[in-house]
Amino acid sequence: MGNFMLETKDLTKRFGKFTALDKVNLQVKEGEVFGFIGPNGAGKTTTIRCLLGILQATEGSASVFGLDAWKDAVEIHKRIAYVPGDVNLWANLTGGEVIDLFVSLRQKSDKEKREKLIKKFELDPSKKCRTYSKGNRQKVALVAAFASDADLYILDEPTSGLDPLMEQVFQECVGEKKKEGKSIFLSSHILLEVEKLCDRVGIIREGSVAQTGTLDELRFLTRINMNIETREAITGLEAVSGVSGIEKTVKGIAFQVENEQIPEVVTFISKFGVTRLESKPPALEELFMKHYSNENVSTTSATGGE
Amino acid sequence: MRGNFTNTGKLVKFILRRERIISTVWILIIVLFSMVLAPGINTMFPDIETRNNFAATLENPIMIAMMGPVYGVGDYTAGAMYSGMMLLWIMMTAGIMNIFLVVRHTRADEEKGRAEVVRSLPTGRLANLNAAIISAVIINAVMAVLLGLGLAATGVESMDLGGSMLYGVLTGLAGLVFAAVAALFSQLSSYKGGATGLSFLTLGVFYMVRAAGDAQMPINNALSCISPLGLAQRSEVYVQNYIYPVFILIAIIAVIIIIAFKLNSIRDIDQGFIPAKPGRKEAKKSLLSSFGLSVRLLKTSIIVWFIVMFALGASYGSILGEIDEFVGDSPEYLTVIGIPEEIVEKMTDADKKEIISKYFGVFITSMMTLVGLIPVIIAAMKPRNEEKDNRAEHILARGISRTKYLFGYVLIAYISSIIMQCATAVGLYLSASSVAGEAGIPESFMLGSLLKSYLSYLPAMWVILGFTILVIGLLPKASGMIWGYYGFVCFMSFIGGFPDLLPAWVAKISPMSYIAKVPLDDINFTNLALLTGLAAVLTALGFFHYRKRDLVYH
Repeated sequence: MGNFMLETKDLTKRFGKFTALDKVNLQVKEGEVFGFIGPNGAGKTTTIRCLLGILQATEGSASVFGLDAWKDAVEIHKRIAYVPGDVNLWANLTGGEVIDLFVSLRQKSDKEKREKLIKKFELDPSKKCRTYSKGNRQKVALVAAFASDADLYILDEPTSGLDPLMEQVFQECVGEKKKEGKSIFLSSHILLEVEKLCDRVGIIREGSVAQTGTLDELRFLTRINMNIETREAITGLEAVSGVSGIEKTVKGIAFQVENEQIPEVVTFISKFGVTRLESKPPALEELFMKHYSNENVSTTSATGGE
Repeated sequence: MRGNFTNTGKLVKFILRRERIISTVWILIIVLFSMVLAPGINTMFPDIETRNNFAATLENPIMIAMMGPVYGVGDYTAGAMYSGMMLLWIMMTAGIMNIFLVVRHTRADEEKGRAEVVRSLPTGRLANLNAAIISAVIINAVMAVLLGLGLAATGVESMDLGGSMLYGVLTGLAGLVFAAVAALFSQLSSYKGGATGLSFLTLGVFYMVRAAGDAQMPINNALSCISPLGLAQRSEVYVQNYIYPVFILIAIIAVIIIIAFKLNSIRDIDQGFIPAKPGRKEAKKSLLSSFGLSVRLLKTSIIVWFIVMFALGASYGSILGEIDEFVGDSPEYLTVIGIPEEIVEKMTDADKKEIISKYFGVFITSMMTLVGLIPVIIAAMKPRNEEKDNRAEHILARGISRTKYLFGYVLIAYISSIIMQCATAVGLYLSASSVAGEAGIPESFMLGSLLKSYLSYLPAMWVILGFTILVIGLLPKASGMIWGYYGFVCFMSFIGGFPDLLPAWVAKISPMSYIAKVPLDDINFTNLALLTGLAAVLTALGFFHYRKRDLVYH
């Protein structure tokens, strides 16, 4: 098992005839922030539930801290903090009560830490959970998680209901935990978040891990969409390294460029008299579609097309 | 303001479409149940003499407080008896239907954010409330007409078309009173549970107010008529058929609805007038464990059911003094409560009261046990519902083992079975002894023997509880079927008085059939031990399977 905080080996989960996970292999090292990305329905939550021992693997294994995720679930849980993707709470309990309950199931609660986090996330702990929006319910789970002193934090799409300001707060909290040497397993489908926070990334598609590596290794993830218009028609761009997917638009051209090639590309295009320049990070789905479309067509005609 | 009601018509259509199954079922149950019972009265009380005798037993303050004034004494027709005994309950049933109906389409829609979607379309500000009320009017009108025609169609002699239509209309109007009340509380309270709870509280208050008026000697009509339920009873359906309560009820409904509209027009969406009071910022110590959470989640249900069981016990205890008159001489009735024919034939006036009270006691013990099972099954089903709603994983992912998690709920379920049986027995004893005096109550209604017979049913309850846990462990997706088994057990107990109806082995599937009829028979300790053992095995198997299965989220 070595010193992996978390490891799956050919983890397979079937629900009846449906295969939700097909030989998933993942490793998270100590002190690492690991981004687990994939489109909706790819199997992120199922993987996490196997790691938590809420679901039992059909084949293969899942282990946390070197312990078996199913058999030693209770032991494992004492050292992890978990935020589910879909936070449902008890209508009659207040946010403050839920936070206290969650923290105290694992350890004695640290009041100061709790107050600080509640303030940071701008949560009103005296309100009944039934009145909370999705974002507020997520804040309750996040406060409870970050107020806990765990070795591993498993966070399942924790920011999907938060506004940008709160996303910022969330990123700070993750940063702090990382500084303390904690490990974080963060599932997400927002690239920007993963890019900012994660040391390594695993990509899951249709129930199996397509690739893992550092962001540098998975360079296609950090491509930027560019949309430019110039006075003169651009020629020879395809020869510049790091550029791909060139397309003609109504008035100019659109293409993708890898992050570190941006200086070269900008120098190159400036020769043609740029009148308009637009750049933005592509959505995960868009990247995936472009990156995986070729193998999809050739290998899996049954599952392709999505 | 112009356009407040824009597009109400389309919303009405939409609501009626959403209601096409649930409201149809409600109406069918109300109408068919009413129709089935009407000829039953004629069978049980075939001639005017038996009916008049029965009317005399109804004319005591306790019975009148429960059911309302007895009209038509002297010429107590089947119709008079029917409306006297049924109208109040059917109006309250219609009230319950309407409370759920209106809250569902007003406050609940708002809470779920559906009302916002509708409001953002070109609909008027008051269109949603307006549509909900118009739909309620349509649904209640359909129910009123079907009920009236249905009762007239039963062909019971004294139940003519005019009286039956009045009966139907009063039921529909009582329903609309509570539709209006629910509409009002949906404005006042900012959440669904609050609106529903306050509406039910009003229903209870209306029942109690008329009980308080009716129980006085002479009957305080003015007080009773403050309650729309008491007012409706003053129509004396099938006796005098007075129409005036109909008009007053319509006026009451109109006033409440106008207030609801006014409040709706001056408030913002999602807001209520009763301020949501802030709760605790920090949890009490008692909440801070898996078991503490289970207690907290089930506390209200157990307290409410405790009160219900106590009150039901007390209301049965209160009629004990006149039990022989209440049951009367009708052989059918004596069979229903389980007195064998040979005993009925040999019964003398001297031992009649004692025999009837004994059998009656045994009969209600099994009935009350069935009612007491409801909160027990609710408690046992709670972990499954928590699992379904994605909340169990909060606890199970925090170092709490499956066994410990499930055990909390199972323990509460077992304890509540004991609580419920004691509540009924104590309620029975207290009211029986206060009505009849300590010396006047029969031996079988002393606290000791009541507790003995009620607690002797516990092992049967535990078997059903054990089944519930087994189903949760083994067949989580099908765990709702435990209510089907519960329904079967109820059915078997109801037809217990007619042993020839079904083959003997069918009755044996119900654990209730193994409980000796204390105090008629001695406690069968062997059976109790066997049932307890079975319950333990079922519970253990449930735990075993719960530990080794996946959580199921649907």
